[in-house]
Amino acid sequence: MAQLIAKMTTLQFSDTPDTRHQVQLRTDAVYVDGKPVQVRKAAAGSFMGMLNGCTERLRAVAHGDTLYVQLRGRSVRINRVDPTRASAIGAAGGAGASHAPMPGVVVSLLVAAGQHVGKGDALLVIESMKLQMTISATLDGEVAELPLAVGQTFQRNDMLVRLRTSGDAA
Amino acid sequence: MTTIQKLFIANRAEIALRIVRTARRMGIATVVPLHSQDQFGPALAEADETVEVFGTPAVAAWLDIPGMIRAATDSGCDAIHPGYGFLSENAAFAKAVEEAGLIFVGPPAPVIELMGDKIAARRFAVTQGMPVTPSADEAEDPATFEQRARAVGFPLLVKGAAGGGGKGMQIARRAEDLANAISVARAESQRYFGDGRLFAERFVEQPRHIEVQVFGDTQGSVIHLGERECSIQRRFQKLIEESPAPKLPAGLRDRICNAAVKLAAAAKYVNAGTVECIVSPNGEFFFLEMNTRLQVEHPVTEMVTGLDLVELQLRVAQGEPLPLDQDDVQFGGHAIECRILAEDADAGFVPDTGKVLLLNMPGGPGVRFDCGVTLGAPVTADFDSMLAKLVVHGADRTLAISRMRSALAETAMLGVTINNDFLSRVLQHPAFARGDTDTGFLERHKAELAPAAFTDDERQLMLAIAASAAPDLSATCIPEPYASMGAWRN
Repeated sequence: MAQLIAKMTTLQFSDTPDTRHQVQLRTDAVYVDGKPVQVRKAAAGSFMGMLNGCTERLRAVAHGDTLYVQLRGRSVRINRVDPTRASAIGAAGGAGASHAPMPGVVVSLLVAAGQHVGKGDALLVIESMKLQMTISATLDGEVAELPLAVGQTFQRNDMLVRLRTSGDAA
Repeated sequence: MTTIQKLFIANRAEIALRIVRTARRMGIATVVPLHSQDQFGPALAEADETVEVFGTPAVAAWLDIPGMIRAATDSGCDAIHPGYGFLSENAAFAKAVEEAGLIFVGPPAPVIELMGDKIAARRFAVTQGMPVTPSADEAEDPATFEQRARAVGFPLLVKGAAGGGGKGMQIARRAEDLANAISVARAESQRYFGDGRLFAERFVEQPRHIEVQVFGDTQGSVIHLGERECSIQRRFQKLIEESPAPKLPAGLRDRICNAAVKLAAAAKYVNAGTVECIVSPNGEFFFLEMNTRLQVEHPVTEMVTGLDLVELQLRVAQGEPLPLDQDDVQFGGHAIECRILAEDADAGFVPDTGKVLLLNMPGGPGVRFDCGVTLGAPVTADFDSMLAKLVVHGADRTLAISRMRSALAETAMLGVTINNDFLSRVLQHPAFARGDTDTGFLERHKAELAPAAFTDDERQLMLAIAASAAPDLSATCIPEPYASMGAWRN
């Protein structure tokens, strides 16, 4: 081996963001957590790999730090992470904040800012691709922020509502 | 008889392209709408012309009757094909199209109106000897609706009288669930259809959804093109459709198809239509509704009959007689359609959005992929989550299932979560293979349909491939095609 200089990255599956994997690309193989894996690029977006002694075709594409991989018709989302970051991205806003599980539009607001609500109370209704979902209060408290108006659209993980308990500072 | 010269397609995505293809073969020019939020549709590149349409949110443009007619007339079209969804079952639209001097590719407005009112349609079906389930109609006497609904018996399906497409439907299993089912169904119906009027009917347990493709012409001839089974549904929306229906006795099939033809003939039906029924485990069938348009799942009928349903639609719209009689219709083999949706089926079928970064369309003998997206297309919440339809044909059902599973594995739309693997798991379930399908299938087999966890080896391989796909990492390290070494040499 003339050179084993590797390029390195840290990856995590989107469904298990707490587990990180060190991946090194060396001239002889790709090393995943130290274990060599043989891969070959067959065409743009198309790769071959070995699994239990059989050749498998995989498809993969990168979009910024998100990598999409499909194996036997099943696709996964893998994220490149900055290993210096302390932890996986947590939702901002604390326990009283609710974030959009998917992009969509606000159908109706059932409460107003400043209003007191009880845990489980319906706060607003959102819709995405014809699927309606009611966002309910996660705790007893006061509606501190209700940033969107009826008809307004939002992206995944945007904050929809934030509650504060009586003890919270504004 | 009028010959259509130029056709406006008041639709988008896969169905717009599908209509363009047939029109082009028939020598008819096509025009499709272009919207600033929908610039990646495959029909835009294939149609002869595009016309910009406007609306916020984007779907408003496709629901704007004067806007659609203006787009058609401004571009010199003499006919409008509505596709499915949007304005396709809107009687006011059909009427406005004709008043504008254009041909509406569909049934006459009064028939759309009759079948669009689900209660009037049921009453009409009864007069034609078509069985219906016991029911209660709120409009008859709103004050006693709940009481009359209770008298029908449980389980009870409560739905919007003006509804369809699975929206605004609630099942009350016990008397104590009824009040809540009524209030939810009313709220949903009000929201989706602008009409909160309700209707309750006995819910048939383990029903199979069987529908009949019918066709009528202006000379008064009505035929059927066989049945489709569409029992694999989630949230009352079809996911997998097939023809012929598995395990449907020939005698029952004939009775359902003949009843559908009789109903359509009595309604003086013209053009393509579908009579939807539910069939109980003991072989009773009940009229559900009639859809007065081309269905999403029409390709399975095309594959078993060899006919082009859009061609028949255009010919009938031109005033031509149907080119075949009932006895001329030949059925061969088995066809299955899978709807490829932008959703995470394993997380409760929650819709997903993204961008089509990699697109791989399946192919091969007996495989048809009607695709509504192109590479680079954004998948947004502005439109329906159906991105494509995968349709296969085989000499028998076993071969069709095998072809479908292979094609589903070949299908890739990376950048957005699609349901191809979930569909494949449904197809390989032993109950599906046996033809034991009813509308409760997905719920009943939920646990067995969950995906197996990836093995460590699979995860390692996917991580290795992921890193290899990152342009900044792979540039110098991964062997390119024809530059590989050792065991990988071809």
